[in-house]
Amino acid sequence: MASSPQEERNKTLAALTSSALLLPAYNVAVADAPPDFTEIGMRYSKYKEDDLSAKKVFGARSQRMDIDVAQFHLLAPVSDDWSVALDVGWEDMSGASPWFVGESLVDDGEPKVAMSGASIEDTRTEVSVTTRYYFDSGTAGVNYTYSDEDDYESSAVSLDGSLNSADGLTTYSASVSASDDDITPTQGKYPTNTLSATKDIRSAWIGVSRIISKRALVRFGLSYTYRDGYLTDPYKYKDNRPDERKEWTVSAGYRHFFVEQNGALHVDYRYFDDDWDIASQTLDVAWIQNVGQDITLAPFIRYYAQDKAKFFSVVVNDDIDSEYFSDDYRLSAFGAFSYGLRVNYDIGNWSINADAERYQTDESWGLYSGEESPALVDTWRYGIGLSYAFK
Amino acid sequence: MVRVEHNFKAMGGPCSLRVDTDDKAAANMAVKAAVAEVARLERKYSRYLNGSLTNRINRAAGEGLPVPIDAETSALLSYADTAWRESEGLFDLTSGVLRFAWDFKSDRCPEQCEIDALLPLVGWDLVRREQDSVYLPMAGMELDFGGCVKEYAADSAAMQLRRYGVTSALIDLAGDMVAVGAPQGVATGTAGWPVGIRHPLQKDRAVAGVHMPEGGLASSGDYERCLLVDGKRYGHILHPHTGWPVRGLIAVSVLAEQCLVAGSSATIAMLKPVDEALKWLDGLGVPWLAVDANLNCHGSLALSQHAGKRE
Repeated sequence: MASSPQEERNKTLAALTSSALLLPAYNVAVADAPPDFTEIGMRYSKYKEDDLSAKKVFGARSQRMDIDVAQFHLLAPVSDDWSVALDVGWEDMSGASPWFVGESLVDDGEPKVAMSGASIEDTRTEVSVTTRYYFDSGTAGVNYTYSDEDDYESSAVSLDGSLNSADGLTTYSASVSASDDDITPTQGKYPTNTLSATKDIRSAWIGVSRIISKRALVRFGLSYTYRDGYLTDPYKYKDNRPDERKEWTVSAGYRHFFVEQNGALHVDYRYFDDDWDIASQTLDVAWIQNVGQDITLAPFIRYYAQDKAKFFSVVVNDDIDSEYFSDDYRLSAFGAFSYGLRVNYDIGNWSINADAERYQTDESWGLYSGEESPALVDTWRYGIGLSYAFK
Repeated sequence: MVRVEHNFKAMGGPCSLRVDTDDKAAANMAVKAAVAEVARLERKYSRYLNGSLTNRINRAAGEGLPVPIDAETSALLSYADTAWRESEGLFDLTSGVLRFAWDFKSDRCPEQCEIDALLPLVGWDLVRREQDSVYLPMAGMELDFGGCVKEYAADSAAMQLRRYGVTSALIDLAGDMVAVGAPQGVATGTAGWPVGIRHPLQKDRAVAGVHMPEGGLASSGDYERCLLVDGKRYGHILHPHTGWPVRGLIAVSVLAEQCLVAGSSATIAMLKPVDEALKWLDGLGVPWLAVDANLNCHGSLALSQHAGKRE
C-alpha cells in the first residue's frame, strides 16, 4: 500500500531531524568513543619513608625504604571502536623494613623495632596491556598485567565493562579480576617463613554513577576480594596469618562543578571490612581548580582510620599460644592524614604534570582503639610526568 | 528570579539572549559561553571572513586538493545532503554563486546568458564529500552555509546555556529563535516564551504571536531585498535550477524541535510554488505560518486569514 502524502512529509521531518541530531550541538549524551589520538607519556616518581626516630629502634639502623619508579604509557586507537594501551613500569627499591617489634629491657619494656639487617635491594618490572572496545552504550575492556621482581612474580587478568543508560545520565560498571602470585623469598641473613609459596586473588566490583544535575554527579561502588594462599609476610620474624582473607568495600563519591569558581569539588568515602577484623574508613576531599585554559591545580586531603587485625599485637611474645600472630604495623589500629597538590599544565599537544604528597600516621588520630606500633611509617611521594598526544 | 538580557550583533543582524535565573553569576557565565559559541560558528562558517573554513573550501575550488574538515562540518554537510535529497534539490548549499548575476541594488534584471554562465557552478551533487574532507571540483563553485548556520548557531548557543545549568532562556539570532524551558514567573499553562512573528512588509508589526515551547522557530522571507523592473517584483530567493527568483510565498515561519530543521523547512517551502509549498508544510506535522504575495496567511500559527493592508 502506498503511503499517504502526510506520512511522506513526516518522513521528511524525521529524516531532517535524525540527520540534524548527529551534529555536536544536539549531543547531550555523547556515546563512549575511543580516543582519536595517540598518547605517549613518561613519568618518574619517588616514594620515601621517613627514618624511624632513634628511640624507636634497636641499634643504630633506622633508615627505611626508598623506591624510585619510572613509568611509560602508550594509548592508541586501533580503529573507530578499539583502543589499546601499554603500560610499563620499573621500580627500584632499597633500604630496610621492620623485622620485628620487641620489648626493650634497657628502656623499661618500651616496644622497639628491629630493622631487617642487610639493606634490601630489589627491582620490579611490570608490563600491562589493556584493550578496550567501545560500543554505542558503553565500553568493554580486557587487561593483562605481569609483574616480576626477585622474590615475587604475579600475573593477573581482568575484565571490565560499562553501560550507559538511554538518557546518558547513568553509567553502570562492573569488573572481575584474578591473579596468581608466586612468592620465593630471597635468602639472606635471617631465615624466612617460607622458601616458596603461592597465593591467588579473585575480586569483583560493581558500581553505578549518575549525573544528578548539570553540575553534579554521584557514584556508588561495592567490591569483594578473596585472597587464598600464603598471606604471611615471609620476611617478618613473628608472623603467621590465616591463608584466607575475605574483604568487602563500599564506596560513595560526589562531584560538583562550581561555575563561578571554575573548579570542582570531589568528595569520596570508602568503608572497608574483612574477616581479619580489619575495618577501615577513608575520606578523600579534593578541589580541582582550573586556572585559565591550560592549568589545573588540585590540592587534596585524605583521612584514613583503621582497626587492628584480630591477631595483631604490638609485640608478639615468645610464649604466644594463638595460631595466628603478627606485629606488622600495617595490621595495627591507626589514623593517617595525607595531603598534597597535583598540578597539570597543557602546552599545545604536551602536558606536564607534577604532584607531591605527604602521608603521616599516628595511633591517636584513629577512630579505633589500639596500642600504637612503633613501626608506623610517615612517607613522602612526589613525581613528575610528561605526555604528548597527537593524531 | 532575575532576567539577564544581552544584546549583541552577530551573523549579520541584531541578536539577543534572555535568561531567567536565580543565579545571576552563573547566568552571566552561560551567556558569555553562548555568545562565544555564536562567534565561533560565525568565524568558522562565514563566507565573508578570510580565515573561515568556508573561505578555505571555496578558494580551493578546482585546485585539485580536498580541504580537510572536522566532525562538526562533516555532520553539517551530511545534514545539508539530507535536506537536498528531501527537497528534491531545492535546498542547495552551492546555489549562492547565482547572486553574482543579480544586483538587488540596481534596477535591471540580468540577461539569461549571465545566469547561464553561473548555472554550471550550482549543483550539490557535484560536491565531492568524504568523511573528513570536502572538495568543489570546479573553480568558481562556492559553498554557502548562510542557509543553515545561523539556525544551527541558535541551537548550539542553547546547548551552551543548558550546559551551564540554564533552564529558562530565549535566544534570538536575527529572527531565528530557540526557547529553553519557559520564562519564569508566568502562570503555568501559558507555558512558552511569547514571541512575535514579523509582518512581511511592515518591520515593526507582528503578523502573528506564538508562545514558543522548547525548541526552535525560524523564518524565511522574500521581503528584505527585491528588485522592481517594469512594475514586476523580483525577490532575492533564487531557484537553484533556473537561477531566477522564485514566485512563491513571501514569508514562512516554522516551529520545530531544532531551529536548524525549522530553518531549512522554511527555506524549502519558500522555494516551492505556493500550492505545493502549503501542502508540503501542512504535511510536515509541525506548527507553521506562511504568507503569500496577496498577504493571505496560511498555517496553524495564522491568527487571521489576512495579514492586513499593504502600506
